[in-house]
Amino acid sequence: MDTMIRIPTPLRTLTSGADEVTVTGTTVAEAIEDLERKHPGIRERLLDDKGIRRFINLYVGEEDVRFLDGLRTTLKPGDEISIVPAIAGG
Amino acid sequence: MVKRREGKALLVGLGGLGCPAAWTLARSGVGVLGLCDEDEVELSNLHRQVLYGRADVGASKLDSAELALKAISPSIELRRHSTRLVPENAIEIVRGYDVVIEGADNFATKFLTADACALAGVPVVHAAAVRWVGTAFAVGMRGRPCYRCLFEDLPPGEPFGCREAGVMGPVVGIVAAAQAELALAILDGSDVEGQLVTFDGRQGGFRRRSISARAQCPLCGTRSIHTIETKRYAPPECAN
Repeated sequence: MDTMIRIPTPLRTLTSGADEVTVTGTTVAEAIEDLERKHPGIRERLLDDKGIRRFINLYVGEEDVRFLDGLRTTLKPGDEISIVPAIAGG
Repeated sequence: MVKRREGKALLVGLGGLGCPAAWTLARSGVGVLGLCDEDEVELSNLHRQVLYGRADVGASKLDSAELALKAISPSIELRRHSTRLVPENAIEIVRGYDVVIEGADNFATKFLTADACALAGVPVVHAAAVRWVGTAFAVGMRGRPCYRCLFEDLPPGEPFGCREAGVMGPVVGIVAAAQAELALAILDGSDVEGQLVTFDGRQGGFRRRSISARAQCPLCGTRSIHTIETKRYAPPECAN
């Protein structure tokens, strides 16, 4: 199943400038694994050995996956994953 | 509810976010603006820091902002805090305001502002912008959910900062407008707590979400953060 991941500006250096990437997977974890296959190096910007990094939020639609089932959150057709990193600047 | 003309708003940082936010709040009739910054105006600021002009380069931001804001609203009361917000002064400065508008360019000040506002019981609207993207996040009177519900702790180093990445002037102005709108809503008594506004200038404009409080949040959940400790605002070692 295909899912679109929206890539925020600070991480687009890792996706050759792409602002969205279509991945396959039935869970958020699988989607990120496919994202890593397509754009090596991005997984470590999102995850550490404890799971989602403390300054990253992942949303499926409008829901923070921390309040769903974390990386095990299942994806439905049409779902979209958004990455909201902590940023400082202005 | 605080009436807007009696409202007191503090701007932490008079940069790309603080300038347009202050401009909006002054024009919206807020009675008192606190200005917290110790920097001088630089030429590289001018494309986005809209309270300053070329003649202000080298002058203190507080002096230049005061002149600009008084020109907009002669009756406005301006309170000057010629300092950075630091652990030693944070609670004392934020206390006494009805809302804080945080537009700092570093994570240490963001988390310090979040903690100080929570401990002082002051609502705060955080904002940030890098390149084409920005966020504004409102923490209401109850202090829950808070910035630490959204981002748990300081990132190692400054991985997503504007110093290297740059920031687009129009984007930071738009995000500051969203930040000011959330602050005005708080002053007007509207329920905006936990609202996260994201703006992406290239991908599709605004998105508004409501953030949930985390039960394990050390600031508003378990409340294990109950004092301001300087060491808490040093970023962890960079893992990369």
